[in-house]
Amino acid sequence: MEKQAIQIPHNQSLARFFKRVGMFFIDAWRGIKQRIIDFVKRFKNGSVGTKLSHVIMGFGNIYHKQIIKGLIYFLIQAGFLTFMIVAPEINKTPLGFVSLGNLITLGTNPGDIFTDPDNSMLMLLYGVVAIGFIGMFLFAYFSNLKSAYLSDLRLREGKKPRTFKEDIHELMDSRFHITMLTPALIGIIMFTMLPTIFMILIAFTSYDSMHESGVLFEWVGFANFRSIFSGTGEIAKRFGSVLSWTLIWAFFATFTCYIGGIMLALLINKKKVKFKKFWRTIFILTIALPQFISLLAMRNLLGEYGPINSMLIRLGILDSPVSFLAQANNAWTARITIIAINFWIGVPYTMLMTTGILMNVPADLYEAAMIDGATKRQAFFHVTIPYILFITTPYLITSFIGNITSFNVIYLLTGGLPNVPGYEAGQTDLLVTWLYKLTIDKKEYNIGSVIAIMTFIITATATLLTYRRSKTYKEEDAFQ
Amino acid sequence: MKRLTLFVFLLLSVITILAGCSSEKPLLIWVGSESEAFYTQKMNDYVALYNASHEEKFPYRVAVKAVDTASAGATFLDDTEAGADIFTVPHDHLGRLIAGASSIAPVQSAELLAQIEANTPEIFFDYIKGTVLGTEYTFGIPIIAQALILYYNKSLITETQVQTWEGILEAAVAANKQALSLAGADGFNNSFLLLARNAQTLESSVRIYADGTLLDCFASGDDTVAIMKWGQRFFTNPNGAKPPSESGWEIELKDGISISMIGGAWQFQAAQRALGSNLGVAKLPTFTLTSADAYGTAEAGTVFQSGTFYDTKMFVMKKNSPRAAYLEDILLYLSSIEVQEESFDQVANLPIYKNAVSEFSGFTGETLSAKLANAQVDMFQFGIPQPFGKQSAFNIYYYSKGAPDLIMEILRNTGNNYTTHAQIKAKLEVIETIWKTGAQN
Repeated sequence: MEKQAIQIPHNQSLARFFKRVGMFFIDAWRGIKQRIIDFVKRFKNGSVGTKLSHVIMGFGNIYHKQIIKGLIYFLIQAGFLTFMIVAPEINKTPLGFVSLGNLITLGTNPGDIFTDPDNSMLMLLYGVVAIGFIGMFLFAYFSNLKSAYLSDLRLREGKKPRTFKEDIHELMDSRFHITMLTPALIGIIMFTMLPTIFMILIAFTSYDSMHESGVLFEWVGFANFRSIFSGTGEIAKRFGSVLSWTLIWAFFATFTCYIGGIMLALLINKKKVKFKKFWRTIFILTIALPQFISLLAMRNLLGEYGPINSMLIRLGILDSPVSFLAQANNAWTARITIIAINFWIGVPYTMLMTTGILMNVPADLYEAAMIDGATKRQAFFHVTIPYILFITTPYLITSFIGNITSFNVIYLLTGGLPNVPGYEAGQTDLLVTWLYKLTIDKKEYNIGSVIAIMTFIITATATLLTYRRSKTYKEEDAFQ
Repeated sequence: MKRLTLFVFLLLSVITILAGCSSEKPLLIWVGSESEAFYTQKMNDYVALYNASHEEKFPYRVAVKAVDTASAGATFLDDTEAGADIFTVPHDHLGRLIAGASSIAPVQSAELLAQIEANTPEIFFDYIKGTVLGTEYTFGIPIIAQALILYYNKSLITETQVQTWEGILEAAVAANKQALSLAGADGFNNSFLLLARNAQTLESSVRIYADGTLLDCFASGDDTVAIMKWGQRFFTNPNGAKPPSESGWEIELKDGISISMIGGAWQFQAAQRALGSNLGVAKLPTFTLTSADAYGTAEAGTVFQSGTFYDTKMFVMKKNSPRAAYLEDILLYLSSIEVQEESFDQVANLPIYKNAVSEFSGFTGETLSAKLANAQVDMFQFGIPQPFGKQSAFNIYYYSKGAPDLIMEILRNTGNNYTTHAQIKAKLEVIETIWKTGAQN
């Protein structure tokens, strides 16, 4: 019976997972199907203007005397077609339709001493940009069809088609959010989505230190991903241990600061503690200083010939200088030191937040507990702690994810060292610092990109799993 | 109204950002940070000379920017369009810069080629040239030469002691300090042992990409095994050499942790700050094999002279620069003997031109800069030019695939894994493989 009790939820969750995946594809297909039906319906039922809008954008609007709107659509189409056909060059690499072909080949001209070769990196980038433009054009195209058909419907209902003035007025009034969000959306597409897609695509190429400017690179499929899991190179040998340390670091960096911060806040909030503001100010001082200054100061203090070593030698605790960080004889010395320094820097944040939460625990919860006969200790464990956990779960998750990608602490304290002879990734390197070394120092862009993707998969999975299982998500704002 | 204002503000912000992206680019020159002020002045002089001798004024604004010359090549390759028109690189970076169809331009001006031919010592000819698609071109315009030398604390080491590592060790034992600090554990800084050569015959069995050939590497000769064994004793002696620490070599020299340091001319000012009037400069010392070190043909009592990689810092030009028509004339001026000598006088850059030792008055005298220059000139006969410029793979395999770590492992006898000559030899063979293939096996 016990065995069955364990298996059922597992099977259920698996079934739920597959059901959701299935539903996603079914919904996607339904959406596409509906759009096709709408498209056909608009073409069949639309006026002559709407029908012609399928070929010449804006024609439907012009047909309904919405001249300015129609011209705008027309100019978008003309601009897009000009862009695609003329294929303007930036930095000697063409955009437009040529860039779509270049996206497939990543360049064919190797150049010579006096002429530049094709720039594979720009070709990849421009190919992605061109696809982005096509996507935006398709959005405008369907918007043009919708607008023309809407005017048809209004006429059939005996209403007048909207004037340009009315549209503008609407955009500045009831649809002002769209006006303001559009630049932000364009910004996200240009500066977040396109670089992300570009980065992902690099993982499928041979773009590395042997294929810098002047040398073409090409598509290599999943070869870079395979090199992580097989082979004898650096990536295959070190990926597992770097990932393990990354997770260990994230766990301890998160929970030491979290538990320490809560304990410190509880301590300072005790009634018997005097000068509360003074103590809070003392701890908050580390937040006031830029973090990198605190980290560099700690590195110098803990240096082999720094003040802490000198003090320990003078006190007779050490015989000779000990390296606590980059040159430590044992990797765990460096790792524990890093976690300790991070604790010192990170505790005030949790303390500050928990202090705020403690000040706002609903008094009626304690009153209810007291009426039920709870002791102070029971009230603490059954009211205070669950309340803090309920409020801070999202913070805990973001903090864990933040620590997985924590660059400053490791890079400024040890630079990823102590080293592992023969390998680039040191013993305190996290995935993200290793990624930095591979891309910025060693120019292994393709492998760096693979590691970035793996880091994203880990952080996204950890976030989704923990957040969806937390009470904060399940019960939203219904703390009981 | 508020909404309209907000919208207009947003629009103006976008226009301002776009307008900021289209400012006219100056003629850009990258030099080492120590030389920025000097070359800025020289370019002002050049523009003044140009304007005086031409009817039309020099058409571009000139900007001289300080960069880390060790990474200038890599930074340039990251974005060649944004890169400098002229920049300084060590000669061993040439391979990366001319990979494929080359990202830098060959020298074409007959006048500049003639000046390079006349001024450059022959030993460097091979390293400023490169082959692109089967044809050899001259790419580099040498301006500075440099080699590793020894900075030491004059108050603790005598002039006799500084000539041998044994003497320096003796001084370190007497002062209860460490004999030597290293600036780094990389393949450049460890060359003082790897490239050590018989002081009498000046021979060494080490070959690193000899004649520009990838597979022509050798590091497991009897002399190298014996030298590593000697180095191991030097590094494991409590008063011997110490590997780099988190505190850095400047602190170690300043606080008297160690009494000497191996470095280059680019570290001269930092060494002066650390030791002040106690700073001494000398060529790298010799050392003598003991019976514990001797191996095969490398016998006890053999004296070895510490070696060095040396290199030339050279100017190179961006390929197809829009300002290409002016670059070679500028370089003719900046690489002239007069400017090289001024560069030594003002920022201690060692001139590279032929016969500088006999012709340049700056090398004579008892000043520290003269000693710095002479120590480097002395070291040229005990070293080899960095041989990594022929192919981009050379530099990557030699420096970045773990071989320097393995050399440090031998020298520190990590885990007591290198106590016998056979164990050292076996690891040296692994190092050879890394140099040849980029992998340990």
